Amino acid sequence: MESPADSVWRGYSLAERDWRWQAVRASAAKAGLDCIFVPLCVDGRNLHLSLEQARGTRSDCRFLTEMNNAAVIVPTDGRKPFVISDQETGNEWVTDFRPVEGSWGRTMAQALLDCGMERARIGVSGLRRGRFTHGRAIAGVINHSSYAEVLRRLPNANFEDATDVLGYARYIKSEEQIVCLRRGAAIAAAGIEKMIELARPGVDEGVLYTRVMRRMLELGSGYYPMALYTGPHGEGRLPRFEDPPINRRLQPMYRIANEVDALWGGLIAQEQQPILLGPIPDPWKPVIELQRDVYLAGLEFMKPGRLFSEFMDFVNDFGAKRGMKTLILMHGRGYGDDGPLFTPQDRGERNRDVQMERGNVFICKPIAYSADGSFEMSWGGCVLVTEKGGEPLVRRNPGMVSIT
Amino acid sequence: MPWKPPQRAGATVLIWAGYSLAERERRWTAARVNAAKAGFDCIFVPLGNGVDGRYLTQLRCSSMVLPTDGREPIVIADRSSRNDWVPEPWQTSREWAEPMSEALLDAGMERARIGVVGLKGGKATHVSATDGVVNHTAFSEVMRRLPNAAFEDATDVVGSVRYIKSEEEISFIKQAVAIAEAGIDEMVKLARPGLDGALFYAAVTERMLELRTEYYPLAVSVDSITVRKPTRYMNPPIGKRLESDTLITNEVNAISGAQLIQECQPIVLGRIPDQWKPVIELQKEVFEAGLEFMKPGTLFGDFIDFANRFGEKRGMKTSVFMHGCGYGDDGPSLGPGSKGERIRDLRMEKGNAWVWKPIAMTADERIQFVWGGSVLVTDRGGEVLFKRSHGMISIT
Repeated sequence: MESPADSVWRGYSLAERDWRWQAVRASAAKAGLDCIFVPLCVDGRNLHLSLEQARGTRSDCRFLTEMNNAAVIVPTDGRKPFVISDQETGNEWVTDFRPVEGSWGRTMAQALLDCGMERARIGVSGLRRGRFTHGRAIAGVINHSSYAEVLRRLPNANFEDATDVLGYARYIKSEEQIVCLRRGAAIAAAGIEKMIELARPGVDEGVLYTRVMRRMLELGSGYYPMALYTGPHGEGRLPRFEDPPINRRLQPMYRIANEVDALWGGLIAQEQQPILLGPIPDPWKPVIELQRDVYLAGLEFMKPGRLFSEFMDFVNDFGAKRGMKTLILMHGRGYGDDGPLFTPQDRGERNRDVQMERGNVFICKPIAYSADGSFEMSWGGCVLVTEKGGEPLVRRNPGMVSIT
Repeated sequence: MPWKPPQRAGATVLIWAGYSLAERERRWTAARVNAAKAGFDCIFVPLGNGVDGRYLTQLRCSSMVLPTDGREPIVIADRSSRNDWVPEPWQTSREWAEPMSEALLDAGMERARIGVVGLKGGKATHVSATDGVVNHTAFSEVMRRLPNAAFEDATDVVGSVRYIKSEEEISFIKQAVAIAEAGIDEMVKLARPGLDGALFYAAVTERMLELRTEYYPLAVSVDSITVRKPTRYMNPPIGKRLESDTLITNEVNAISGAQLIQECQPIVLGRIPDQWKPVIELQKEVFEAGLEFMKPGTLFGDFIDFANRFGEKRGMKTSVFMHGCGYGDDGPSLGPGSKGERIRDLRMEKGNAWVWKPIAMTADERIQFVWGGSVLVTDRGGEVLFKRSHGMISIT
């Protein structure tokens, strides 16, 4: 991998910008909306249900503008989007924007009026959770006081949730986005290699955490906290850390689970690699094998046109024929809180009729359980949906790494 | 309890929660007193206001109803989280509107005057969030469920508690300052021409993480000293190497005990150009004069005018630049984009802690110098909490 200083990547092209804007317009037109409105969203430090959700709260504005904080109006009729921001300067995508004057609410309302939306049908992204984006934010991500002011100032407009309208444009990745996710996946894999190199009994877990983060930053990743789980097997759920653990050292036979994320071009890639500090117990081996098999079979199944209902049933039924259990665990990759979301807590029934499309990128990491439920394992990484099935964005071998 | 907890929850995220129960009582009591003074029946920290939630509960994500009459608060948390401060919160998963409504009803607030923390930007907290931080859809549902209650902004009710730091908080602020200074030491150790900007950024971040700061982005610029408006990076710079005339400006942030602080230390690769020296000298003077001015009772209006006019007598310019230390987005926030008109009547208090980093510049503003760090307000004036000497560090 080239060093960040020598990287020729200088950001997304204007063609990519236009591709995104056009995809949003097309999606909005199909829904009969006059415009898509991305209002001010609460910042991720304050609205922090999870790492993914927090990163996702202002993801729609980043997708449309490459700015960290902005409100955006995308008229369906082909006009250029109106951008409102409190940032000092714009960027190549958005060279001029309307500054926030006094309050976001007043400024956004005036922009909608200036756009001719006084009596329009306005699709609001982020009002509620969607199937393609903001899946963890049941109540959406929008700031109350400013949005309430917009509603007050446009009493004759019709505001409705359009999270999935914009979300669908984010669901299918362009070539430029895939290049970035591929690089991110490679960086995350390098972080995992560093973890395998360092993880030994006696090692300070905080130091392990910081070395892995340093490795990824050195390769140019933006900072995205690694989720680290450590502890002995059989003593309940492992604790999760999103900052360097304090006063903890790895011990023999500790399990290490992780979600190693890297950011390139603002997109989050993730790779996951379970590790055991000791020899793998024999009873675990069939489960590890089952997990590998369901992962690989899932890749073959992952083709454009497949419904998630089929995929869920396929994965969730896969283990039964071996007298064990398997469960789908996956979600989209992108600017943050990308869907559709399938986890043990949120089984994803609402996504059954979502179709896989060419250009989707998911983190796919199904779980396999032993028959008695005493052992479970998840392994996975970023997968691109192609005509030939799911293509991992970085080549790694499924399984649990044993460090003896 | 009418709210039924979820059957499944995500993994508990362990975060630092080491303040004493006495500190909890101090915060809760002060918030109750302020709320009562403002005529509220309770304080409500809704979904979206994660920072005040953490301040009042030490939980990563929470909502709180704190009755003014002294009853125990109702706290809602997720992912099975709990701690010494809040051993038995109501548990939720991803649904917040329903338990928040039920908590208010359970606390008898159906027809109450409810102070909502974070509904708007405050004088001392949420200072950059002019429209507050509250989640719309969840809060709208709460208002719908309690149609006879009055909801009003109470950001300053908790903000004024956060404004004055306790001894426990000050001890963690000092720890965080030491971590940030270690980050600066790492910068000085590594900064040489030819170094990949991303490697530089990564090493400094690692140094602070291994000293157990919670993560907060390091901000740096690594352009030539001749560049008038350098690019600011909050992630590793891509496509940049340090050069023989690079000026490294930085905002080195660290968090300890949930207290976010900042230190700023310009570093130049090469000799300090002569035309910069009077500006650096002026900045030292305004920094030190500001410390003397920084006494309990001083009004911010007076302080702003003092700092902004200080440079005139040298034929140069100075400008106030500062923000509070604390849980995040603490005030007062004063700088190029925030002149402070709405806090001119705010008083400095003993126990305030902020980042003081005034700007000195030439009359034409072509050369600008910012240096500073965390400062505590005492009866004798501002006390610097860091150990560095003033000036630009030159690496030759």
